[in-house]
Amino acid sequence: MTALIEVRNLKTYFHTQDGIVKAVDGVSYNVNRGETIALVGESGCGKTVSALSILRLVAEPAGKIEAGEIIFDGIDLLKLSNEEMRKMRGAKISIIFQEPLTSLNPVLTIGRQISEGLEFHKNMSTKEGLQEAARLLKLVGIPHPERRIHDYPHQFSGGMRQRAMIAIAIACQPQLIIADEPTTVVDVTIQAQLLELIRNITKELNTALILITHNLGIVARYAHRVFVMYAGNIIEHGNALDVYHYPCHPYTAGLLTSVPRLDESRKNRLIPIEGQPPDLIALPIGCSFQARCAYAIPQCQREKPPLLEVAPNHYAACWVSQKEQRPWQKKSL
Amino acid sequence: MAIVTNTTTGPERPHHTLWGDAWVRLRRNKLAMAGGIFIIILALAAIFAPLITPYDFAHQDYTAILQNPNAKHWLGTDGLGRDVFARLLYGARTSLAVGIFTQLIVICIGLPIGAIAGYSGGKVDNALMRFVDVMYGFPDLLLVILLKAVLGSGIYQLFLAIGLVAWVNISRLVRGQIMSLKSRDFVSAARAMGGMGRYITWRHLLPNALGPIIVSITFNIPRAIFTEAALSYIGIGVRPPTPSWGAMIHDGYDVIFASWYQVFFPAIAIALVMMAFTFLGDGLRDALDPKLRH
Repeated sequence: MTALIEVRNLKTYFHTQDGIVKAVDGVSYNVNRGETIALVGESGCGKTVSALSILRLVAEPAGKIEAGEIIFDGIDLLKLSNEEMRKMRGAKISIIFQEPLTSLNPVLTIGRQISEGLEFHKNMSTKEGLQEAARLLKLVGIPHPERRIHDYPHQFSGGMRQRAMIAIAIACQPQLIIADEPTTVVDVTIQAQLLELIRNITKELNTALILITHNLGIVARYAHRVFVMYAGNIIEHGNALDVYHYPCHPYTAGLLTSVPRLDESRKNRLIPIEGQPPDLIALPIGCSFQARCAYAIPQCQREKPPLLEVAPNHYAACWVSQKEQRPWQKKSL
Repeated sequence: MAIVTNTTTGPERPHHTLWGDAWVRLRRNKLAMAGGIFIIILALAAIFAPLITPYDFAHQDYTAILQNPNAKHWLGTDGLGRDVFARLLYGARTSLAVGIFTQLIVICIGLPIGAIAGYSGGKVDNALMRFVDVMYGFPDLLLVILLKAVLGSGIYQLFLAIGLVAWVNISRLVRGQIMSLKSRDFVSAARAMGGMGRYITWRHLLPNALGPIIVSITFNIPRAIFTEAALSYIGIGVRPPTPSWGAMIHDGYDVIFASWYQVFFPAIAIALVMMAFTFLGDGLRDALDPKLRH
């Protein structure tokens, strides 16, 4: 099976007054048809920028995709003209943003905003678009959809807005949906409902999903594979459960011990990752995590570790891990 | 789930469009409605002036000069024995026409230029805004006088001259609004759905900027009326004997110590119109913001 989308060596830099911010610095990943992958990492690690790069929506002129290939269904998106790219957005690839309130236009009704993509890509009239919008709102679990399509975003609750965003994203039945921290702004019960909804819909429509999150708990439950990002690089990837249970990079292990887990004793204290992520303008020569790493060896300061297979289908960019020593794993077991 | 829906939806709402909802909200604003009704009554009175007053605005009655308000001449007569009430009514035609038609020109020029500059940014923005800056550098009245001299006399030339000068303000306003709005998330979202630049500008950005634009226009209408008054004073506005409120005020200055009514009534008329437009503009701004519902 060939991948639906393959991101190869993507580099997206931001040119600022202080220097070049290497937000995404040589990232490669792929998503198969109907598969859900997760991009995980803390704020500012480049996960959102790498996803926005797929849609070529990085804020210009500061942000620029410097190098790489994004092969979607056999086409390199970075080589398309602006007009060709516009036809991909929403039709083949769509995105669910983190903040549903600010991502919905306050002066347009929900129905109009859902039917927008249908009018762009499926040549529907406004009337047909609104009918389809009502059907989609019903699909994402909003009661009385015929009436609610005439409501404005502020008349929807937070969870309902995010459902409406999901309806917008799936309107044209895209092959790939990018969900950028879709549940960060809603409370935990709604979070679970929304994720179930996204999972059911992607399963039903056989849509591939890139789930961007910082919550590894979500990843283990909803994603097939996971890519952990740190300072603009992917530092570990593998099957979601493998990564969750046997992290092969100390950073991933740190992420896991810093969030509460139901399957652990309540006496165990949460262990935060000390220190700050490195400055993306001046990255250290060796491993970018070594300054915060409790297991660093001298080699980590000298050379940047490559992303190598450390277990079957499990890759990590860590010198220690590649030497078959993973002292952190004992802790999480 | 059904209970939740009922509490958030409330009773069935009959209006669904932005304008329909705005109208519902506007109707609840008493001051704005009063302003709007005043403007409508004034417009009707101006249109049907011959039915309201028996006097002709240009008829000079030398037996009745500078009369105080009385039963025959409700608001008195001016220095040439013309009925002030009749002149006020016919003057409303000039003033309202100046106010409205200049703003139409302003919208037709200022809105697209501001929107294009704001959305495109970069070189396009730079070129357009430097041009606006040059226009802005001239004193408004001087530029209007200059244009009027080039365009020639006549009331349409007057509209054009005022409109061609006044659009720079609104284009700056629109540009600023568009620039701040275009970095909002819903614009990224619309682009992520495949929206085109032009579509996003008209569909997403301008409706969000409508409030400030409408308020600015309602404030600009009395300004245009004042500009016309100033032009009439120096003799390049409307041609006598066509009345305009500005011309009436300036005519009245000459005889202010003999009869202060000559300045008072047209000044009150201008003040009332300005207030009416301001109330209406404020009301419209609130009405067009769906977040301020309830």
